[in-house]
Amino acid sequence: MSGSIDVRGLSRTFHTTVRRPGFTGALRSLVNPERVAKQAVCDISFDVAPGELLALLGPNGAGKSTTIKVLTGILTPTSGTARVAGVVPYEERERNARNIGAVFGQRTQLWWDLPVRESFAILRDIYEVPKAEHAARLKEFDDLLDLSSFWDTRVRHLSLGQRVRSDLAAALLHDPQVVFLDEPTIGMDVVVKEQVREFLRHQVEQRGRTVLLTTHDMTEVERLAERVVLINHGRLVLDGSLDEIRRRFGSTWQVRATLADAHTEVQPLPGIEVLRHEGARVVFGPASCEGADAPTVHQALKAVIERYEVTDIAIDEADLEDVMRAAYVHAEAA
Amino acid sequence: MKGVRIAWRVTRLNFRAQLEYRTEFLLMIAIGAIWQVSVIVFATVLLSRFTGMGGWDSSEVLLIPATRMLAHGLFVLVLGRVHLIGRQIQEGRIDIYLTRPMPVHRQVQLAFFPTNAIGDLTVAAGLMAGALSRSDLDWTAGRVSYLVAAVVGGMLLEAALFTAVASASLRFPAADYWGRWLEELLGTFGSYPLNVLPKAVGGFLTFGLPLAFVAYFPAAVLTGHGHDAGVPYWLAAVSPLLGVLAYLGARLLWRRSLGHYSGVNG
Repeated sequence: MSGSIDVRGLSRTFHTTVRRPGFTGALRSLVNPERVAKQAVCDISFDVAPGELLALLGPNGAGKSTTIKVLTGILTPTSGTARVAGVVPYEERERNARNIGAVFGQRTQLWWDLPVRESFAILRDIYEVPKAEHAARLKEFDDLLDLSSFWDTRVRHLSLGQRVRSDLAAALLHDPQVVFLDEPTIGMDVVVKEQVREFLRHQVEQRGRTVLLTTHDMTEVERLAERVVLINHGRLVLDGSLDEIRRRFGSTWQVRATLADAHTEVQPLPGIEVLRHEGARVVFGPASCEGADAPTVHQALKAVIERYEVTDIAIDEADLEDVMRAAYVHAEAA
Repeated sequence: MKGVRIAWRVTRLNFRAQLEYRTEFLLMIAIGAIWQVSVIVFATVLLSRFTGMGGWDSSEVLLIPATRMLAHGLFVLVLGRVHLIGRQIQEGRIDIYLTRPMPVHRQVQLAFFPTNAIGDLTVAAGLMAGALSRSDLDWTAGRVSYLVAAVVGGMLLEAALFTAVASASLRFPAADYWGRWLEELLGTFGSYPLNVLPKAVGGFLTFGLPLAFVAYFPAAVLTGHGHDAGVPYWLAAVSPLLGVLAYLGARLLWRRSLGHYSGVNG
């Protein structure tokens, strides 16, 4: 139970008023407002094991942030249950807060007018962290995030990268078992992004923290996540490893082979079809009818080499960005 | 005890941070004082042009704005960050507060140091000193204690009103504008003996929006006008207690509203 996240049948509905178009419509809405229920999250279930990093993905408005808000105790679900490190976050908000750390990339939890180190000291008092422990953890974070170069600067004067690094440290200073990161690297340059990723990897691999991450940065997902949960329109579309997702939505590979004998008769292979054939050059791709069962690029490569004598071979594989685009489109169509 | 220690530490740090922006700091104090210009003008006109108002001597009337201002200054200093909470909601700061093991209301109050309160309190202290120096009353220990209780009760009553508006803002952010209206109303009518106003207005400011309990009724009790204040004497006399009760009620409302908080940006 320690450090795990368990979500069962979670739903969250928001009620809003529909604005009718035009001035007359606005007056009608005033007199007779039309209320609609918008399901931000609808019956989703998943779990995250202790020490696992899970990427919660989906297009804008998919329900990722709402899910994180329920798990951090900010929102109460309409139905379903959630447990974070054994605690129901919306029932025992303060107890849950001691077990979790949260970073919302677009807002800071630091005191705007205070130097970063003063904010850290306040958080130490709030979470009742012993001074020696706090100092040791700050030293560790400084080594990884280079905080000391700016921690005497007031938050309002920090760059985005410095601010998010400070927020990350602030979220972990009380040694939480579970960490929620809602688009933590949004708007950051590549160097700082890499530094943050390294820090997160360290927290998962060395410290055994459970991390739930939302991001639109597929490089980040590729570098950090072991498992991915994809949601769209509030519904869970897919829960699996990156390999599974690639297999299901990323079959856009091509194998380009140059045959030793240009006159070889080229036949399709199981699950693989010939896309182009010009002289000795042949381009193979996944058979369109295979869908999710199409062979991976590596299986195709092996099959081509085993079947034909080739003098040169190369592969083009869709990157994760393409794969996720395909997954989103598929989810949209479904 | 831990909560008080943290609150004191954060307040000290926030104050120090404000001091480091010298011009901003001085401007905020000035704006706090200038904001009360209508009260200062009222007091000046009252003392220089009139001998009294609604059956009260000028010196007695002066006790009303002095009490209200002092209560208001203390409210701004201690509990005033609930006013215009819409900004903290829009910035997503309430979301952050909810992820910390500390009451959200306390975190709202510790968000920044209200430098303008220094201006408010300076004007209020000057007004109170003026009111007391002109007063013919015998300031016994009992009267002084009641005055202190009235100021604290007035602060809590004002805090209750703004906490109620803030509670509504947690669910309907547009409700924040009501806070501005409330501030305007308190500033406009808070300085007068309410018996000079039309009965309907006086009734509204007593039973609709209980402004009368902030300073008018306590001042009436202190100056011997408690029996002709428009409500039973005992009700006017318990004004400080009503402030405490109203504040407790408002905090319950806040807690309830926080349970329905749905935040911004999904």
